[in-house]
Amino acid sequence: MSVIDVTQVTKKYGSLRAVDRVSFSVDKGRIFGLLGPNGAGKTSTIRMINYITAPDEGSISIMGQAVGSQSQQLIGYLPEERGLYKKMKVGEQLLYLAQLKGMSVTDAQKAINHWLERFDAVSWQKKETHELSKGMQQKIQFIATIAHDPDIYIFDEPFSGLDPINSELLKKVIIELRDKGKTILFATHRMEQVEQMCDDICLFNKGKAILQGKLSDIKRSFGRNTVILEFEGDGSFIDELENVRINNRSTNYAEIRLLNGLDEQVILQKAIQNVTLLRFEFVQPSLNEIFISTVGEDNIKNQLTKAH
Amino acid sequence: MDPRKLFLIIKREYMTRIRSRVFIISTILAPVIILAIIFVPILMTSYDSGQTYQIAIVDHTGQVAQRLVKMNGARYLAMDNTSVDSLKKMVVKGSITGYIVITQDILDGKSNPELVSSGSGGISLMSDVQSNLQTAIRDALLSRIDVNSDIRQIINRHINLQTSKLTEGGQEKQDTTILFIVGYIMAFAIYTAMFTYGGIIMRGVLEEKTSRIIEIMASSAKPIELLIGKVIGVGLVGATQFVIWALLISSAATFGAPFIMQLVGSGSQAHAASAAASSFSVPSIPPSLWIYFILFFILGYLMYGALFAAVGSAADSETDIQQLMFPIILPIIIPIMLLGAVASNPDSTTAIVTSMIPLFSPILMIARLAITEVPLWQSLSSIVLMLLTFWLFMWLSSRIYRVGILMYGKKPSFKELARWIRYR
Repeated sequence: MSVIDVTQVTKKYGSLRAVDRVSFSVDKGRIFGLLGPNGAGKTSTIRMINYITAPDEGSISIMGQAVGSQSQQLIGYLPEERGLYKKMKVGEQLLYLAQLKGMSVTDAQKAINHWLERFDAVSWQKKETHELSKGMQQKIQFIATIAHDPDIYIFDEPFSGLDPINSELLKKVIIELRDKGKTILFATHRMEQVEQMCDDICLFNKGKAILQGKLSDIKRSFGRNTVILEFEGDGSFIDELENVRINNRSTNYAEIRLLNGLDEQVILQKAIQNVTLLRFEFVQPSLNEIFISTVGEDNIKNQLTKAH
Repeated sequence: MDPRKLFLIIKREYMTRIRSRVFIISTILAPVIILAIIFVPILMTSYDSGQTYQIAIVDHTGQVAQRLVKMNGARYLAMDNTSVDSLKKMVVKGSITGYIVITQDILDGKSNPELVSSGSGGISLMSDVQSNLQTAIRDALLSRIDVNSDIRQIINRHINLQTSKLTEGGQEKQDTTILFIVGYIMAFAIYTAMFTYGGIIMRGVLEEKTSRIIEIMASSAKPIELLIGKVIGVGLVGATQFVIWALLISSAATFGAPFIMQLVGSGSQAHAASAAASSFSVPSIPPSLWIYFILFFILGYLMYGALFAAVGSAADSETDIQQLMFPIILPIIIPIMLLGAVASNPDSTTAIVTSMIPLFSPILMIARLAITEVPLWQSLSSIVLMLLTFWLFMWLSSRIYRVGILMYGKKPSFKELARWIRYR
């Protein structure tokens, strides 16, 4: 059953089509990744799903109903630009936000107490937000997003600016929520961060949805075409390889995409001749690689040169 | 609009401000400052008049000095036998303020008297001395030619112009200059309130933007709910402040007035000033004017509040505000500049036309209502016009607001603002 349906949606800002005839749907109990570079139209789409802005064309529905004030209460939204009222006490603030989402005072207080305990933050209740450290504020922000126990969670760039501890905490909470049957929509440009978490994805580029489906299906359709190398020694031989694209490269590590039907054994032999090989793996491509091959390398280059 | 959400938003706007340190301090300080503005001059004059300036009179005619001494014994000293040289020394030493030599020529009108002084006392002393001398010399001259008392009375006769206001209910005996002052005070009160509370709305919106809470708010409530909630919440803060001030002032008038009278009571001038202040009492303002004042106050606040909110949402920082505020400040300042002309000629065509312009009405119409008899159709249609303007501004502002709150990191041009209004 689909929980979020986006149908032929277009959003224009002046002459710019920020979102261009996009359609996708998110199924219940899944983690859905909205992926693409900055400026691809992810946030514009999310704002329309949240009924913050309205589409110029097309329609969006939540649980079969057109978006509106009612659907807002079903969603917990963590925007990319995060913030809280600085001069308001943590407890009052959480209560206020939960009440705005339609909760009664007693229910809201119960939920807030539960999450404050869970996040080890009970003692902050009486503090004003600006007195808290950044990490603490991030935790309060999560609670503000999830306290009203919605069915749908939307996270825009959820891991940006998070310290490692909060990152792990958020990942754990998200998986937990999914296991409880909640639906989660992510938007991020850091594809490698969500690769292990997403069930389904939709790739965005320049306002258009260019590829979507179950992540495992998509990966399978691309087949094994990537070699991962870990080694000790002089890795300069990698630069001399032909018919490859090198994606993720550091001193002792490389992800190599094979092009034009190149045999992975060629790379294995070259590696053995040149370095002490610690790991050789023949795998499905990363999301990053999938994105690049879908958009086309030339397009990426064009975009980069335009951006700079 | 969801009334429950609106109530929650109003409550938050109101409670967080009422409990803030800024609110408490400004609520206490504002009446202190106003009282200081009123009473410091009174206290100063009472202090001044407590100080006596002594002027020695050397009278060669023997007819003027006693008259002056009779008029003000504390000021004028008859010192006919003191030489001019020693008087000069006394002035320099500061034991007297100055001296005047009255000669026969002065009585005859051939020359003018001269006050030789250290320069203290200023203009008020000079004009006092001049009028005292005039009276004394005239009196002396009249005595010399033995004028009968009837003519003397005619010459000494003073005329005071009294004013009263004619209304439909009959003639009301009232000093219209007081209503003139009331009109000014009411106009300025509305002017100050529109700026102050409008500014609070604006900074509130900007703060939600810069602290980035706004996107969470926008995902929980409609922009129009957020906007109206803020305008009403801040308005209630203002109302609370005014109620507190009214209570403070009335209790101060009841308990504090006798004390102040005592404090001030020493000087005769101060007496007059405080008498003027007490005659300027609340009951002399007709109740209908109070109702108009409250109505114009609220309408003015709502119209400008909506505009200030739009500026806050379009701006990205305090510095942007300065430029974006210009088109709002202008219509507030223009009526203040026109106020003098409208108040002194409240029934002229200019006054009628300008006071009917909705953006000017809160300041100019209330001044006219206080000073003159404004036809009912004028006051009513200005109220209707203001209501219409308020709805128009509220609509425009909510259009700008809902786009502006999500625009980070740039200051829009006015052209862009116009485009935002047309966005879906």
